[in-house]
Amino acid sequence: MGFLHRHRGLTPYLLLAPGIVWLGVFFLVPLGFLAHQSLESGNFAVGYAFSWAWGNYWDALHQYHAWLFRSLLYAGLATLLALVISYPLAYWIAFRGGRWKNLLLVMIIAPFFVTYLIRTLAWQTILADQGPVVRVLRDIGILGANGRLLATSTAVVAGITYNFLPFMALPLYVSLESIDKRLIEAAEDLYASSTQAFLRVTLPLSLPGVVAGTLLTFIPATGDFINAQLLGTPHQAMIGNVIQSKFFNLLDYPGAAALSFTLMAAVLILIAVYARVIGTEKLTG
Amino acid sequence: MKHRLTRQELLQRAAFGAALASIPGFAAACGGTSSSGSSGASGSQQLADTLRFSNWPLYIDIDPKTKQPGTLAAFTKKTGVKVKYTEDINSNSEFFGKIQGQLSRGQSINRDLIVLTDNEQYLGLMLDKGWAEKIDKDVIPNITNLVDVQKHPGFDPNREYTLPWQSGMTGIAYNPKLTKPILSIDQLFEDKSLKGQITALNGFGDTLGLVMLANGDDPSKVTDASFKSAIDRVKAASDSGQIRQFTGNEYTGPLSKGDLKACIAWSGDIFQLLPDNPDLKWNIPAAGGIIWTDNMLIPKGGDAYTASVYMNYVYTPAVAAKMAAGIQYVTPVKGAQQVLSKTDPAMASSQLIFPTEQTLSRVHLIDPDALKNQSYNEQWQAVLGA
Amino acid sequence: MKFIRRHLLTAYAIAAFAYLLVPIAIVIAFSFNDPAGRYNYTWQGFTLRQWQNWDGVPGLKDAMVLSLEIALLAAIVATALGTLIALALVRYGFRGRGGTNVLIFVPMATPEVVLGASLLILFLNLSSFLQLGFGTILIAHIMFCISYVVVTVKARLISFDRSLEEAAMDLGANELTTFRKVTLPLIAPAILSGLLLSFALSVDDFVVTYFNAGSTVTFPLFVWGAAQRGVPPQVNVFGTVIFVVALGLMLINVLVQRRREGVPA
Repeated sequence: MGFLHRHRGLTPYLLLAPGIVWLGVFFLVPLGFLAHQSLESGNFAVGYAFSWAWGNYWDALHQYHAWLFRSLLYAGLATLLALVISYPLAYWIAFRGGRWKNLLLVMIIAPFFVTYLIRTLAWQTILADQGPVVRVLRDIGILGANGRLLATSTAVVAGITYNFLPFMALPLYVSLESIDKRLIEAAEDLYASSTQAFLRVTLPLSLPGVVAGTLLTFIPATGDFINAQLLGTPHQAMIGNVIQSKFFNLLDYPGAAALSFTLMAAVLILIAVYARVIGTEKLTG
Repeated sequence: MKHRLTRQELLQRAAFGAALASIPGFAAACGGTSSSGSSGASGSQQLADTLRFSNWPLYIDIDPKTKQPGTLAAFTKKTGVKVKYTEDINSNSEFFGKIQGQLSRGQSINRDLIVLTDNEQYLGLMLDKGWAEKIDKDVIPNITNLVDVQKHPGFDPNREYTLPWQSGMTGIAYNPKLTKPILSIDQLFEDKSLKGQITALNGFGDTLGLVMLANGDDPSKVTDASFKSAIDRVKAASDSGQIRQFTGNEYTGPLSKGDLKACIAWSGDIFQLLPDNPDLKWNIPAAGGIIWTDNMLIPKGGDAYTASVYMNYVYTPAVAAKMAAGIQYVTPVKGAQQVLSKTDPAMASSQLIFPTEQTLSRVHLIDPDALKNQSYNEQWQAVLGA
Repeated sequence: MKFIRRHLLTAYAIAAFAYLLVPIAIVIAFSFNDPAGRYNYTWQGFTLRQWQNWDGVPGLKDAMVLSLEIALLAAIVATALGTLIALALVRYGFRGRGGTNVLIFVPMATPEVVLGASLLILFLNLSSFLQLGFGTILIAHIMFCISYVVVTVKARLISFDRSLEEAAMDLGANELTTFRKVTLPLIAPAILSGLLLSFALSVDDFVVTYFNAGSTVTFPLFVWGAAQRGVPPQVNVFGTVIFVVALGLMLINVLVQRRREGVPA
């Protein structure tokens, strides 16, 4: 666990207190309400009442496992894509950014200033069926004669990837930036080619950032609904869409709650497996 | 028929009045007009300081000079009641999802007037659950200006809780530059040249209503059989890729840009797309269209008296005419068209805003009970992907 | 070979930024559009009137200002709370460490609909103390941003070389001074990243805010509502201004740094 501080008795608790209290009151308490709701039964017309309705969970798993898998798949693909796209970018900012690093970081989150809907409308303009991008893709044969990019699973995954890019890029940058350049110099002095230096020195040292970025992208992406709603057809619906539907359209609050906990459990299990695979010290230090 | 206040309502109003009176400066702010408009009904009938009105975006007339709602400013001038106007309703389901938490706990949502549509279940649910205040008909003599066809809707047969704000129609829009005229649901769903370039609405009142009409069934009296044949048809069109997506009003973008050749669309939206795309066409399908109405509703805890006074104001033909010109949907107030024809005859003769009897005979209401049917809702959500 | 690789990377970075900023380019371009109607979907001609009439949409400016205020406050508080948690988690062993590690992930995994709705239930139960509005939005935003800061700062702390701190203390610095002069500067990029991520999350949040805003309108809520009848071009104007101002502030930051380093400006 590394060097532990002398006063370890009280200090950690003092450090934790403000944040944990905040989360305790404003997250755990609502989560408790949600858990209570997930075990209620009834319907909207007559009302819901607590009744240890574990059946809600069974129904959730039984009926919606396909949506669950699809969400994990789309989130996984998007995370992978985000990693591949962001790594070289974060590397460039960390190693070549110089004085401009902070400005470049702000540019990474700049799309968030204009709200999700505006970003998506802009992409819908660029990727419109009659627009230049689709026309080129049709001409060179990647898309069929009547092919389109919007309202497809490609569009949904691309949307998720784009919207979570900063969550991958910034943690990657944090890790890459902290690497002592002299270590790479030392490797090269010892006759490593730049590829070897990268693979043997830089990449392993940047793994905490990779882990952080993948978590910050994958976890929230699984619950995403809006990309599937605007950029997909009914065949691309994710578990988030089902939860939206249960909550807003079917007024089935226990069902929505149970489905949410099922998703959260699936995600936490995956994180546990991930931690085992990569070694917990990269996750928790 | 005078509305007798129950003890609970009397106490509520007294408490509300007392709470208002304790706000410093209330008397001054009210401008001494607290008893204007009172028709002598029993109880502490005082106009509130402010009317808290939540509505849909761009659903009120805007005065080009002040950039503010003109009729609201005129109302304030006439009665002294300020209007806190918020455009925070953009979806019946989302708004209901937000307010049901408070209403189910007996808490006020801090609004006096909201507007919900009758082609979804939520309006009916508000009334079923007792989450609406009764309108004070004693102060709405203009209720006689309500068009006859709106006097006895299924969800509120005696108009005790709601009054129409504006109506609209659901039909088929198409882009004549990209396709031949699409005038029926049969064409929309079966013409292969439209494959993947049409959308349907994600409310089943609208989409299944149109399909039922195309099947020869009556959408105002839905049966399990008529529902099944309509939903099977829609599902088939969706699975085959004919229907690209189910949308709210996001079809406006793709329709404008040419991604869509045709779609199920609302009349008012197309009217507002015309300046940018003058070629777009909207029609009531051959078998008939759906007419829906946005209704004013006083949520529980809202000031029924002040809201009712405002409702009465809205039903004045001169005011309704101004609103109709600004909102450009179908007005439910008799006499508005005559008033408008004096100042803007072109708009007064627009079919989209003042449909003729013949047009109105071709549009139908959706069965409010069908909207609340849980099984129907579940089947429809399954078609939408969930 | 190194030459090509060096410039290949730069070329890639430019391409990646182009990809990131392409929607911004569209937003900026369409702020000069001259649509005849209410919608801003198709290009119809160049005009400056949207810029001249920048304040022509009632409520838009207030919504934008509100969103920026909330985002700034939420980012600062969440980053502070999150950094403290990250320090505790990485450097100390204590009872509940494992549980805390798990707790950090759960808010991110919770679908926004139920997160927002459940938080609303809490606020409704506290309605005698707390009205829905600015305060409740801020509370919610801080809540969901903390996790992101923790994970980001942890990534830095995990590979932190403690020997630097040990050296400082060997040279007579106490813990607070060491933290201020050694630790903090070294983890500054992580803290900045946490700030930026929190800011982005907050300024863009829709679902949780929708439930807990009462009748207060933030920028995403405003845009979502306006989209019903066509997003006015003034939204594009505001988006452009925010982007330019943010860039401007960072440019000033760069110039200040250059001056500090003694490079002639």
